[in-house]
Amino acid sequence: MSEALNSDLWVDQYGDMLYRYTLVRVKNPDAAEEIVQVTLLAALQSKQSFQGRSTEKSWLFGILKHKIMDHFRELKTRRTYELTPEDGSDPLENAYQSDGHWANAPKNWDTDPHKAVENKELVAAMAQCMDRLSEKFRNIFVLKEIEGLTSEEICKELNIKPTNLWVILHRARNQLRKCLETHNWDTKK
Amino acid sequence: MIRSLRLTCEDTNPLISELMDHDLPWKKRWRLKLHLMICGVCNIYKRQLEIIHALARKLGHEEAPSQKEAVLSKQAKTKIKDTLKQSS
Repeated sequence: MSEALNSDLWVDQYGDMLYRYTLVRVKNPDAAEEIVQVTLLAALQSKQSFQGRSTEKSWLFGILKHKIMDHFRELKTRRTYELTPEDGSDPLENAYQSDGHWANAPKNWDTDPHKAVENKELVAAMAQCMDRLSEKFRNIFVLKEIEGLTSEEICKELNIKPTNLWVILHRARNQLRKCLETHNWDTKK
Repeated sequence: MIRSLRLTCEDTNPLISELMDHDLPWKKRWRLKLHLMICGVCNIYKRQLEIIHALARKLGHEEAPSQKEAVLSKQAKTKIKDTLKQSS
């Protein structure tokens, strides 16, 4: 067993880091706490498998990623990820004129992806806007955009049809756009 | 005939989103490209979606500075430590 492994210190050293990483993905603080605990327990039980090939931190994050995915899979057994009437309408529904051109044109945010990620106000606004998505939309958006799963992987993991997945992602992105436009973040920062 | 080849903004926007998730048949891709060549507003829309994608990736990064400075509560830490001790 590597001397570097010390489960007593894990909570103090990595607890908050693992928790924050989880909270961005699952939103619910209790669920995030539970996932961190399950992760550290699994790590403790497989201490022998830690060969020191990676750092202790990346080893723990590796286990955490699996546990987060287990959480999403588990949710599937309790709710449907298919699109239902309760999911409401497309936020872009009234955005067009009858000829298909924009009626409410999107605003020019005067930034680009590289600059945007350096803008702390904008990143904070994005975190808030993500938390305003419904649980279903948020989970699917997280799997696609944060976890980087392919459409095929998401459909398989969550038992949904590709067309439904695309509609959900499109609507989630439009809700985020709409929400970000209501925040007063400074484009020059 | 020409009308049927041309996409409106309304037709285009779901395709911009879809192209971020999976490949499109070449005909659709081509029509989308054509529309984006002439429509400034849809380019703004596309840029917004690209920014949203980049922001999400940033938030999900291991080292991302948390906006909420979220931390595990003292009670939670004690509970997890106890659980680990019991099982070791």
